[in-house]
Amino acid sequence: MKNIDEDADGLTAILEAPTIPSDFGFTEEHDLARTQARRFLQEHSSIERVRKLALDDVGFDPATWKQIAELGWIGLVSPEQYGGAGFDQLHLALLFEEMGRRLLPSPYFGTMLALAGIESAGSDAQKREWCPSIISGEKLATVALSEPDPSWEPNDVQTRVSPDSAKLTGTKTHVLFGRQADLFVVPARAGDQVGLYLVKAGQDAVRVEPEVSVDPTRRTARVIFEGADSIRLAGEDRAELGTWLAKGQAMLAAEMVGAIEATLGLTRDYAADREQFGRKIGSFQAVKHPIVDIMCGLELARSQALAAAAAFEAKDGKAPTAARMAKTLASDTFAYATRKGVQLHGGFGFTWDCDVHFYFKRALWSRGTLGDALHHRRHLAAEIFDHA
Amino acid sequence: MGDVNESEESEELTKFRTETRDWVAKNKPKPPGFKLPQSFLEVESDRQFEFLRDWQMLVYDAGLLGYDVPKEYGGQGVDPDRHRIVMQELHRARAPFLVNVIGLHWAGPTILAYGTEEQKKLLGPMLRCEEVWCQGFSEPEAGSDLASLRTKAVKTDDGWQVSGHKVWTTLAHVAKWMILLARTNPDVHKYQGLSYFLFPMQTEGVEVQPLVKMTGEGGFNQVLFDNAKMPKTALLGEEGQGWQVAMTTLLFERGAGEGSGRERAAALVGQLKRLVRLAKKSRRDGKSVAEDPLFRDRVAGLWAEAQAMGVTAARAGVDGLNVDRPMGVRLMNKLVSSEWNQRLNELACEMLGPDVGLWLDDPNAPDAAEWPRGYMNSFGMTIGGGTSEIQRNIIGERVLMLPKSK
Repeated sequence: MKNIDEDADGLTAILEAPTIPSDFGFTEEHDLARTQARRFLQEHSSIERVRKLALDDVGFDPATWKQIAELGWIGLVSPEQYGGAGFDQLHLALLFEEMGRRLLPSPYFGTMLALAGIESAGSDAQKREWCPSIISGEKLATVALSEPDPSWEPNDVQTRVSPDSAKLTGTKTHVLFGRQADLFVVPARAGDQVGLYLVKAGQDAVRVEPEVSVDPTRRTARVIFEGADSIRLAGEDRAELGTWLAKGQAMLAAEMVGAIEATLGLTRDYAADREQFGRKIGSFQAVKHPIVDIMCGLELARSQALAAAAAFEAKDGKAPTAARMAKTLASDTFAYATRKGVQLHGGFGFTWDCDVHFYFKRALWSRGTLGDALHHRRHLAAEIFDHA
Repeated sequence: MGDVNESEESEELTKFRTETRDWVAKNKPKPPGFKLPQSFLEVESDRQFEFLRDWQMLVYDAGLLGYDVPKEYGGQGVDPDRHRIVMQELHRARAPFLVNVIGLHWAGPTILAYGTEEQKKLLGPMLRCEEVWCQGFSEPEAGSDLASLRTKAVKTDDGWQVSGHKVWTTLAHVAKWMILLARTNPDVHKYQGLSYFLFPMQTEGVEVQPLVKMTGEGGFNQVLFDNAKMPKTALLGEEGQGWQVAMTTLLFERGAGEGSGRERAAALVGQLKRLVRLAKKSRRDGKSVAEDPLFRDRVAGLWAEAQAMGVTAARAGVDGLNVDRPMGVRLMNKLVSSEWNQRLNELACEMLGPDVGLWLDDPNAPDAAEWPRGYMNSFGMTIGGGTSEIQRNIIGERVLMLPKSK
């Protein structure tokens, strides 16, 4: 019988965490930026404004979006030569966390993923052409990622590009703020090669049909490309699509962490204040203990989201795995936090007046996006068990 | 995994790590040919104890133990980096554990925080395992509600006289010293009437009786005190300050001390490796457990949590990344890791299928029945040092500031 202590199977190297600095690279600069972001979002994404925008036709405030561009947030992690500020991924994770707390209704996530796509796959000339106008807020870019047959495996993409004419055909679903977008970043296949393509909105061959999103702070559309003109992102050193998606998973996980923190705060405050049977309900262990479990799950997810961000700087190849884990942990904890969040608010939790339902809906949306927990655990299991 | 900053180590520390690794590889004792305990909680026989004591002495004599203790008290001088490296390398090599755990990790730091010069001199023999320590906190009627304990210490002309009953006392049968929490004033509020002592175990009026655990193993005891005497100098801290001093000990015991979360996380990944290897060699329904999607899903989940616990231990030391709840991640460490450990062992038992039914000493028991044994022993961690339920109360009330449950 094999000895389970034997280390000849390479498991140690596989299970090893990414190499990141012990302080995650956190500096005073990060602290200041976070304070600035918190202040801005307090004003521009108060729950009153979120509630108003939830019923609004567009679903985000263009004036706020313009200010976000002016603050340099769109180009936060983009290289300086393309108009960005060149900050590290930890900056971005901390900013997403703040946005998640406030449920900022904004195209930010879709735009950042689109921009990251251009930066990871485009040529130098393409980046110079497209990035500056996206970063300045002049053009709104978004990603057109999922398809009617849902899959987060890049190789399953059905949308096709004809090899001779670069006409792009296919249906993309859940495209963030697709109605307002000027530019779509689209994974598509030419033969058996899957790559990233740019498609301009406004063409006759691009049909945008608004969807009704479960999360009113995240508007989406179905975008149907019927032989649309496209531009292949053709950088020579383009990264694999999986690495690009991993960045998206890390961003989304960080945003979810912020939203879990807010859900925890709402639920904690209600339990500490609400009285039944002559005592605060938070004194009942049946109420207190699940709130503690939310906190524990949250803190693990937060560490992992921050570690994933730091891992993208470390470049030891372990960042995508760390990001998968972050998305997995954030998905499960966000689900638990919002389920308990509604339940522990009692009858009030079931009403539109209670803020928790906005987080509940964000959780539904975020969990299914960029791979749910099951999807990522399936991949993690393959890393553990299916190596050579 | 676990060492998030290994690559950043200075040349000097890297050299120290290499030397430590080499030393451990060269000196790690061979399996002794009898069953070793899984942890310090089940050291049963003399030969088990002596084997483990000799190992700790060897590590100390090699100059590797005591990087958390100043030189004048028998340590190597406080050097958290070297301390961490030694602990990591011992885990990495799966060297036998250091048996004087209660001394090294709980009593030692508490004595450094509250002790007199004379008391701090106890640390040298503790580090070298010449003198073993045990803990006298829990009582039959005071488990989770520790502060209601009844063992009393009455002041006499030349010291104190102890009467009462302590229970779940790991290592008491080999201990020279006990950290003892006793009531010195029955007339004040329960938290104010306690004092903390360093009690010499070889005293008349002390009786140590072994208890048998659910695994059939020994290793812990009950201790009966019948007017047992101790000198004035046994008092640690002030009279009536016992609860406060005990909370310091429990903070270390629950892994809130600097670095210990990280060490524990490294150990968790070691366990995960063993689980993965178990899955690979176990079969179910005609194929390897490693091919079963339902098992794979749960192993992957444990991995994600283990990695998150590791980076959480690192994050505990970064104030700017703990602004929402400065003590949150430190206080949750014991709860989260002990429950993770329990789930891992339970999953391993499921992987065994019907073979989980083979117990210690059965020649066909997979891995000498370490998995059902580990699952049973995992309750030592979810119950000892404050049950998971009490941990949730503590976190809820002290970290999240929820109203008290009583």
